[in-house]
Amino acid sequence: MNDDTARAWAYLSRVAEPPCQDLAELVAAVGPVEAADRVMCGKLEGRLVDETEARRRIDCAAKDLEILTGLGGRLVTADDDEWPLLAFAAFGGCGARQRPRSHPPMVLWAVGPGRLDDVAERAAAIVGTRASTAYGEHVAADLADGLAGRGVAVVSGGAYGIDGAAHRGALAADGLTVAVLAGGIDVPYPAGHAALLRRIREDGLVVTEYPPGMRPARHRFLTRNRLVATLAGATVVVEAGARSGAANTAAWAGALGRAVCAVPGPVTSSASVGCHALLRADAHVVTRAEDVVELVGRAGELAPDEPRSVSPLDGLEETERRVHDALPARGARTLDEIAVASGLPAMQVLGPLAVLELSGLVVSRDGRWKLALR
Amino acid sequence: MTLGRAFSVAVRGLDGAIVEIEAFITSGLPSVNLVGLPDAALQESRDRVRAAITNCGSEWPKTRLTLALSPATLPKMGSVYDLALAAAVMSAEGKKAWERLEKTVLLGELALDGRVRPIKGVLPAVLAAKREGWPAVVVPVDNLAEASLVDGIEVWGARTLGQLRSWFGGKAQLDARVDAPQSAPDPSADLADVVGQTHARYAVEVAAAGAHNLMLTGPPGVGKTMLAQRLPGLLPPLTYAESLEVTAIHSVAGLLSDSTPLITRPPFVAPHPTASVAALVGGGSGLARPGAISRAHRGVLFLDECAEIGAAALEALRTPLEEGVIRLARRDGVARYPARFQLVLAANPCPCAPADPRDCVCGANEKRRYLGRLSGPLIDRVDLRVEMHAVKTGAFAPEEGETSAAVRTRVAAAREAAAERWLPHGFRTNAEVSGALLRRKFRLDAKAMDPLRIAVDRGQLSFRGLDRTLRVAWTLCDLAGRTSPGLGDVTTALSFRQAGSVR
Repeated sequence: MNDDTARAWAYLSRVAEPPCQDLAELVAAVGPVEAADRVMCGKLEGRLVDETEARRRIDCAAKDLEILTGLGGRLVTADDDEWPLLAFAAFGGCGARQRPRSHPPMVLWAVGPGRLDDVAERAAAIVGTRASTAYGEHVAADLADGLAGRGVAVVSGGAYGIDGAAHRGALAADGLTVAVLAGGIDVPYPAGHAALLRRIREDGLVVTEYPPGMRPARHRFLTRNRLVATLAGATVVVEAGARSGAANTAAWAGALGRAVCAVPGPVTSSASVGCHALLRADAHVVTRAEDVVELVGRAGELAPDEPRSVSPLDGLEETERRVHDALPARGARTLDEIAVASGLPAMQVLGPLAVLELSGLVVSRDGRWKLALR
Repeated sequence: MTLGRAFSVAVRGLDGAIVEIEAFITSGLPSVNLVGLPDAALQESRDRVRAAITNCGSEWPKTRLTLALSPATLPKMGSVYDLALAAAVMSAEGKKAWERLEKTVLLGELALDGRVRPIKGVLPAVLAAKREGWPAVVVPVDNLAEASLVDGIEVWGARTLGQLRSWFGGKAQLDARVDAPQSAPDPSADLADVVGQTHARYAVEVAAAGAHNLMLTGPPGVGKTMLAQRLPGLLPPLTYAESLEVTAIHSVAGLLSDSTPLITRPPFVAPHPTASVAALVGGGSGLARPGAISRAHRGVLFLDECAEIGAAALEALRTPLEEGVIRLARRDGVARYPARFQLVLAANPCPCAPADPRDCVCGANEKRRYLGRLSGPLIDRVDLRVEMHAVKTGAFAPEEGETSAAVRTRVAAAREAAAERWLPHGFRTNAEVSGALLRRKFRLDAKAMDPLRIAVDRGQLSFRGLDRTLRVAWTLCDLAGRTSPGLGDVTTALSFRQAGSVR
């Protein structure tokens, strides 16, 4: 990407509020440099005139690129190898087309060693309320840690609460984590997460479709959520209140054909109401990182069964159980006495007794059998 | 004619060799020379023969007499040659070439008055004569029943030397062959007498069906000996060939009864725990004589209080258990006796052996050492191990157990099934089958093998133990009339392994 093209992309990124489908079509038709020229000179038609009118005279592309270079970042566009074409193809699906603003981004401002296409191949989004509880943060960190350990990138929004816990969990496990911002790349929002975002820039990836200096706004969060949902193979809502941005991300994930997961919480907790609503609407129940890996991982990468509490009597056959129950809690019995107590012929008691003895449930001494002490 | 000739048989082990006996009368001072490696009993035979010949009215040579037994290098023992020596001398002295003498093998000891006395080892001797193609054999009349067991050879019983001489001349008759009655099973030892002890009873039945070796442990008085004694009664009767083998051994050992010489029931031999190695496996100077294990050939060798038996004696059992034969080398050569027996071991759980095991006063070490004396290789050959419990009130139960006859029918059917199955592989009973064959060609289905696999994985069962369990499982399936062992058979077979031991 030469400087002219880069400047053109940077200019185009700011000139219309993304996502702007008309501008994207123009760029696709004539290329970024020509498109930037036309926008600047006002040689436009139709809706695009209105969409670009307000900002077309602001040209701070060179300064923006300087800021980006200062952060060690790069512009990622559809012309780059890094562009996650497959992930963004989901916007063309029938579920996504019915939603407003359902378009792929035109330009992404990215900082960090992670590659977008790598991330999109194997990633899960962990999102949730900013007003999280200790339970939610614990689960989010736990999930992120488990996912990072299994090579799954953790995508989130960098906000307080669940998002922050997820990023920190992934970073603590030396995993790859991606923060998708709703403002400019140089605007650490929330301010309290400036240090966290710096760490993500160093070890993971910070991505936004807004040019530097752009302040986050309510509608931008909702627009940003579609990127979180599309970059991840599954979206896990750890905690969400009745009205929550996380529910919006989950809705985007559903519309984009991604798996929607929710972590159940206490039914008395207002922070889990949104999760339970999602679960009622057929979201996947997720309690362990393995459950998420099963959804975003390779084919056949299945979660092991939940560990179950086992009783030593579980694996026994019917007759073995009968013989076991025929033995008294205390004291030993001869073969004939066991046969009477179990109602089985003496010869058929021998086999089960041998099996019970081998499994350590019964001990034989002096030709008698008794229950093993446990 | 001053040369006389007669024939007899030298029995070495269970094989016999024809011995030619020559008497040569020549001029010289009266004397008797006996040549051909005679032992002390045979040296003394000069005096017996001389007295007997004189007392039956014949002449004893008044000049020099040389008696030669050939083959000259074969050591000869005992009094069996008396009759042949006497016949050779009479033939030489009387210068008569009796046609019958030339065609007859003579066996028997002589009394001074000319009576013919019974000897040991008649059956193998007669068998050897028959094998060598001799048409007739004369035996002491007391051994006639035993000799009559052999078909295809003329058998005559001689009462006195005079009678024999007349028979040579065609002037008298000897006693002809008699039919020996079959020995009946011992009616006193019936399995019905054993009350309770279902596990041990079943083990005895399984042992009988699969020819497995058996070990019973338990406090005194619970019926270990009783059960062991009933095992031969469950075994099928011996075939004719087997009977002859067994009878020949007993004949060499001098243990045959006069009335029913043919042993048709599997023998039961129970040596005392203090028995020496020689008593157990055979031995003695000169040429070894059969021991307890050979007498138990095709039958049951019961070692009661096996923990009290010397380690050397027990270890000596290992080769015969494996090969079914014992070779004993002594000064006069190697004797080979068959010894395919079924071993039944019985032991108390500890040296003090109280009626109730809870009253035991032995230390833990003492207890462990007691049964630990049985070496691993020996124990490995014991497929069935049962711990018997002290009988409580159940002993007074009025109902009887199953009779030996009923069990014998099942055992016979099971043995037949096993023999048919293993015939192409050269085995006759389940106990003989090699582990490799059981694990490869006759491998059970995965479900049935499951408990074994788990037990081996957990280290509760060794590979030898696995083979043993498989053998027993096959016997259990034969007894139940199934074609191949199922899960139930395998788990039941597992109950016959030693409790709490990996072996």
